[in-house]
Amino acid sequence: MARADVGIVGAGLAGLTTAIGLAEAGASVHVLAAGHAATHWAPGTIDVGVAPGAATPAAAIELLRRRPGHPYAIVAGDLAPALSDLRRVLRASGIELVGELTDELRPIPTAIGATRLARVVPDSMAAALGTWAADETLVVCSPAGFRDLWAEAAAASLRRPSSWRGDDRPVRVEAVTVELPGVAGRRNVNGLELATAFDDPGWRDAALDAIARVLDARVRGPGRVALPAVLGLADHPAVLAAARARLPLVPFEVALVPPSVPGIRMYRALRAALRLLGGRIQIGEAVSGTIDADGRVARLVAPAAAREFVLSVGAVVLATGGIVGGGLVGRPDGSLVEAVLGLPVDGASPNGALDDDPFAAAGHPLEAAGIATDSALRPIAAGDAAGRPLAANVRIVGSLLAGQRYLRERCGDGVAIASARAAVRSLRGGAVAGPERADHFGAAAVEA
Amino acid sequence: MLSATPVAPIGLSADECLKCNVCTTVCPVARVTDLFPGPKYVGPQAQRFRLGPTLSPGTVGSPIVRTADRTVDYCSGCGFCSTACPADVKIAEMNNRARAALRAGHRPRLRDWLLGQTDLTGRLGTLTAPLANWSLQNGLLRWIIDRVVGIHRHAPLPRFAGRPFRARLGSRHRTADPAGAPPPDRAVVYFHGCAANYYEPHVAEAAIAVLERNGFEVIVPPQTCCGLPLISNGLYGAARDRARGNLTVLAAYARAGYRIVGTSTSCTHTLKSEYREMLDLEDDDARVVGEATWDICEFLLDLHDRGRLDASFGPIERALPYHAPCQLRSHGIGLPALDLFALVPGLDATDMDHDCCGIAGTYGLKVEKYDIAMAVGEPLFRRIRASGATEAACDSETCRWQIAAATGARLVHPVEILAEAYAARLAPTPAPSPAPTTG
Repeated sequence: MARADVGIVGAGLAGLTTAIGLAEAGASVHVLAAGHAATHWAPGTIDVGVAPGAATPAAAIELLRRRPGHPYAIVAGDLAPALSDLRRVLRASGIELVGELTDELRPIPTAIGATRLARVVPDSMAAALGTWAADETLVVCSPAGFRDLWAEAAAASLRRPSSWRGDDRPVRVEAVTVELPGVAGRRNVNGLELATAFDDPGWRDAALDAIARVLDARVRGPGRVALPAVLGLADHPAVLAAARARLPLVPFEVALVPPSVPGIRMYRALRAALRLLGGRIQIGEAVSGTIDADGRVARLVAPAAAREFVLSVGAVVLATGGIVGGGLVGRPDGSLVEAVLGLPVDGASPNGALDDDPFAAAGHPLEAAGIATDSALRPIAAGDAAGRPLAANVRIVGSLLAGQRYLRERCGDGVAIASARAAVRSLRGGAVAGPERADHFGAAAVEA
Repeated sequence: MLSATPVAPIGLSADECLKCNVCTTVCPVARVTDLFPGPKYVGPQAQRFRLGPTLSPGTVGSPIVRTADRTVDYCSGCGFCSTACPADVKIAEMNNRARAALRAGHRPRLRDWLLGQTDLTGRLGTLTAPLANWSLQNGLLRWIIDRVVGIHRHAPLPRFAGRPFRARLGSRHRTADPAGAPPPDRAVVYFHGCAANYYEPHVAEAAIAVLERNGFEVIVPPQTCCGLPLISNGLYGAARDRARGNLTVLAAYARAGYRIVGTSTSCTHTLKSEYREMLDLEDDDARVVGEATWDICEFLLDLHDRGRLDASFGPIERALPYHAPCQLRSHGIGLPALDLFALVPGLDATDMDHDCCGIAGTYGLKVEKYDIAMAVGEPLFRRIRASGATEAACDSETCRWQIAAATGARLVHPVEILAEAYAARLAPTPAPSPAPTTG
């Protein structure tokens, strides 16, 4: 039987930042996950929140934290320090996050030629954030044969003023398609292959030369060039620097359909940080556990070849995500159940999911479904005013938390890192902890 | 007889695929070659073209009869796609069956047949070891084998032992009948597999030394190749014959309460899972054998967890790069070798943190796949070379041969390190301090 002070289920942004925080606090941590998901699907921006009328992420969070049952009501105060921690961890792997919570939310182009609001983004996307000067051209550039970014289609859409907000938009939008060495004529090229190709200095130079030649021939005057988010994987900082030096326009990356290269970069950076701290990570099987009679989870169990893998734990953090991530599982009757411990799901009435109007202006109740918690992020039964924890040594983080509508509120990354930090504080016996002081660290206990 | 908990249908798991491409991001083969379009395309995507004929009641999950895509032959079977999939699609297993379907009804290629016969080649090779080893080191002969048979002339083929391990069993219990064997609380069954028998008897001897040091007598009943090389080469029929032979003998021991311990992590994984998952041997023999089988490091770590491992290891003062093979990860048991290494004073073991060395059993031996295999393993080879270590550890024999050939390092099984550490404890060392035992 393996042992850890804390077992973390889920290897997305919430699970990995929780594990890193706990490991930095001196706990032994073991991350178990059914597979890769969130990080490999997400665009790589750090989306902390948008709300009607909010000009900045900070303003959006102020609005969101007042919504009844929203996770920010508990963890909003952790967001700013959690973002600082994330910057520090990612910087060690060459990923620089640009933008502050108090800066203006900005429309950045997407791969289908719409725009979406963002503020905290990796350096490679930062050039998309700036105000457009009166004479600036936007060029959407895609490798010939690459099917995840159609430059013509994206540009046609971005030419429409309605794709932007107000007059702050490029004066012209152009599309260019570039033949990159070894790519044209291929039937299947995905972003990861291109990113790996860019890691090779020789291919990188040839590809950037090819792009520069086409841009030189097509574009006069200042502007920016939107490139698919494939500018290197292992050697991304060098690829980005080379693109900036070599291209006649200011480059920025546009997030693509999965697999998301910026997301994988982030996953690798977080994983590297966790391993350096001695944390363990094991991917591959769906994890389960049971709440003992004394209200604690002592073991996490994963199916293994012919028998079970058992992890003996002092505490558990569930970072398994919502419906998309697999943390919530739908049942044929329309109800939901939490996947690891079978916790009751807030916002999931039997049959409700099937009867509610999916197009209602207020949104579908399923969007906000998740696990209700007390102020220490321990799970409670939905609607339990007394807030009695269902499991004393369990914490809920990330998209599994009830009350957020992360698709429309774009708060998923913010809730992930803020709740991760709150869970770490709670398990260390910090201020978030309720009446019961956490004693879960066992021999490696570190008091705050 | 059907088992109470049948293995989930592999083919139908394609319906769970979200098309998210996470599998493609972890595929070591798609990373280095255009010849393999990636697990999503040849797996769940092509699967819908294969399912039709098998969808009648009672045949769900049976071997696929058609395949839409011949590039599936470039799948190395490492299994990372299945572990990374967030939707639990059995991608690698699906691909393996599709490959078997490609071969079904055709006479196997001589090369693939030959690579599947590790017990036969092992027996012949050890009988004629000096000649066989000379031949396999001879450049001209290897060139001819390359051209005629299709085994790459630089592929890492092991050297035959002069005397197979089974010829050195001494007085140990070795019959198919558990009667007369020492009782199961102080004896284990050892599954040596082909590698430890014909090529690396020193691994078997290290395993026996470590097991005996911990108070277990070692039983070595008759056994044959586990069948994995045949499964990998799509020869399911012959693999089932091997499986049935092993199951008959091992099930008697398993039912008598013995644990079956193996040093080849791919053999132990085959005994645990593949007989049921790949070969559809859903009977009680397969179940009891699977549940009784332990990879040796898994077994030793379990002893340690229960306070029964003799942890009085002597010091080994050196750095040791460690590679966790793909098949070990399919066990889903973590990396037990690293936990055991941590008990050895002075030993500085480092996980090389690379997915696959490339060889994937017999994959990297083939002329058309050798370059792919070397490219897959290259980052690992670079890391080991850069470490400056002259020795590295790995739980799988074919990986050891591949890494040794590519790096020039000496490759050992983790149990060889443990045997050395026990021996170092016996040797007179200045002021030995007792190693901590827990539990």
